[in-house]
Amino acid sequence: MGEEKAQMRKYLGWRVRVPFALIAAAVALTIVVTDSGAKTAGKAHAAAGLACGLGTGKPATGTPILLGAISVKQAGTDFTDIPNMANAYFQCVNANGGIYGHPIKQDLLTDQTIPSQLAAEARQLIQTDHVVGIAGSSDIIDCAVNSSYYAQQHFYVLEAGIAEQCYSSPFEAPVNMGPRYSADGATQTAIKLGAKKIAFDQSNVPGTQYNAGGSKLIAAEHHIPIQFLTENAASINGATAAEKEVQAAGPGGAVVLVFTPPVALAILQGAQHLGLQNKVIWTCATPCNTDFLSNALGSTWNHKLYVNAEMNDIHDDGGADATLYLKVLKQYGSSVAGGIGSFSQFGFVLGQLAVKALLSIKSQVYTAATVNAAFHALKGFKTDFLCKPWYFGALPNNTDYTTYPENGVMQIVPHSGCLPIDKVDPEVATVRAYEKAHGV
Amino acid sequence: MPSWSSFQPFIPIGLAAGGAYALSGVGMVVLYRATGVLNLAFGAIGAMGALIAWSMINTWHVPGGVAYVACILFGGVLTLVYGMIFGRVLAARDPLVKAAATLGLALLLLGVMNRLWPAQVTRTLTLPSDNGGFAVGQANVDWTQVIAVGFGIAMTAGTALFLRVTKLGTAMRALADDREITATLGVPVRRVEAAAWFGSGLLAGAAGLLLADLDTLASDALTFLVIFTVSAALIARLRSLVVTFIAAIVIGLVDNLITPINSITNFRDMTPFVLAIVALLFFAGRRQYSFARGGIR
Repeated sequence: MGEEKAQMRKYLGWRVRVPFALIAAAVALTIVVTDSGAKTAGKAHAAAGLACGLGTGKPATGTPILLGAISVKQAGTDFTDIPNMANAYFQCVNANGGIYGHPIKQDLLTDQTIPSQLAAEARQLIQTDHVVGIAGSSDIIDCAVNSSYYAQQHFYVLEAGIAEQCYSSPFEAPVNMGPRYSADGATQTAIKLGAKKIAFDQSNVPGTQYNAGGSKLIAAEHHIPIQFLTENAASINGATAAEKEVQAAGPGGAVVLVFTPPVALAILQGAQHLGLQNKVIWTCATPCNTDFLSNALGSTWNHKLYVNAEMNDIHDDGGADATLYLKVLKQYGSSVAGGIGSFSQFGFVLGQLAVKALLSIKSQVYTAATVNAAFHALKGFKTDFLCKPWYFGALPNNTDYTTYPENGVMQIVPHSGCLPIDKVDPEVATVRAYEKAHGV
Repeated sequence: MPSWSSFQPFIPIGLAAGGAYALSGVGMVVLYRATGVLNLAFGAIGAMGALIAWSMINTWHVPGGVAYVACILFGGVLTLVYGMIFGRVLAARDPLVKAAATLGLALLLLGVMNRLWPAQVTRTLTLPSDNGGFAVGQANVDWTQVIAVGFGIAMTAGTALFLRVTKLGTAMRALADDREITATLGVPVRRVEAAAWFGSGLLAGAAGLLLADLDTLASDALTFLVIFTVSAALIARLRSLVVTFIAAIVIGLVDNLITPINSITNFRDMTPFVLAIVALLFFAGRRQYSFARGGIR
């Protein structure tokens, strides 16, 4: 009898577990199908009428042109919005004739800031997947790990840069300033607003000394004391970090934040919990330039957070590029989780640059040699997102904007104009000299 | 060394965090004693409940109170379902296997959360009690912080009383003492275990809600805050609810009070590990090292 009961229990147990597992699988499948179905339906309807690439309104059906990208995706640091927005633009171009009939296909690999993983991914893209170009990358250490490999392979990379090598290797060209120069801009703004001392806080990831280097020089130039702090972004307590920063800045001081939006938000909300938003001047590097942050902060932070925006603010920019960006984001940008903001703007410009280069290849033969030559030859690219025309070079974006939150969106600070990054930072001086010599 | 005024603002932050850790810690100890399972998924369960509450408020425009209750109930129901399905399967396995299985649940939930609520989107969950508070010296205290500490005290005392005076609580203590004899005496073991799973899950949901407000509404960060809870429970040798509460408060305070000390502030994340190791070495030295399921105090 005991054995019978044990058997019965085992049988009944399976009758509970198996249906439960089937239900869970059905739910998961529903999520996947609904998600992809919505994307496909949206794209088909939206194809017509967008001036992407050739703007023919007819889908490209030829042999795909494979472009690679590498982006960091880990707890507290996820830059995939940048390649995802580039890909959104590629999809728009593909729906409008592609590159003379060839659709662009993105091969995106993500990493968790492990050097061996980065090295393997670069080799996978070039040697295994045979991408003909790399456009849309944004990674903490890709340039540091792979810039010499890209040079060996004669790949000229279009990216949103972070590491020092992104701004010094002749084979890398960033559309952004990166954390160092963006932090420079935030520091300059803090000093301009009258800060008596600066607390500079950033994520504890590789490159912290490089990121802080320019701000150290700028603060020294103006005889303003500066203290450097770091946080573990993956486990940050916003209130604790905010209190630490305010204490470090002291009365009449400023806090310069160099974090991704979720982490910056945690800190700023922590500051609000503790009533610290009026105790110091708050500034932030480019990642804070997103409407999501402004909306989440609410009106309490109106005009209280000054953000160094590496690209023009969408709400103040009525230009053709801004208009197209908004349409592409709406119709193809479902995987751009951060929405309107600097990251997706970087991705959009990267997409435009890649397409401009591909369309310039007169032979219409798309090999690694022709595509990278076209990338390298990019210059004089005008966009209403940037203060100056872009060219393939070390630091082509070295003049930017200042924004602040206003009723849920980011707005350009009135009369702030274009802010040239201080050339006390040596690389900026070198680039300005190059631009003057070459009439760029 | 920073001045006393530099430390003051971190005291209410630390106390509030400790109060939230204590909620999970009490649930963790009761569950361990009743079922032998060290639930490492507490953080993930609380995080998912908080994210569901966020979606209810921001996407479906459900009133906040309903969303908060949903968060807590979600914690209870998910923990109960896990316990009823996998608790039974793993009942005869040793504690390490049972704990590893809950780690699997945590990782599964983490994956689901990252899929449904991508990290790039900034999300916040604010409670009405965030508005308003009072100043104590250099420290600003908001009502959420007061609630976190108060709730931690209330749940610790309430759970201890529940275990002492109620029939179900007595059954749980009996189960913790000796499962076989308790079953032989006719106590409905499965129902008692179910109550332990459900109750501990409710506490995980409540802790997730508080920490989402006090700390951050990020799936990764909230999931791994379970480390603080586990440390508090280990210091109490997975036995005493009062010691769990005190340990959680101490961990929360030390973790935050280290912040203004520049020379060690970057090592704050080590706090729960260091305190747990010190406590375990202390108990080992006094030959009191025992995680045997001999009753809950």
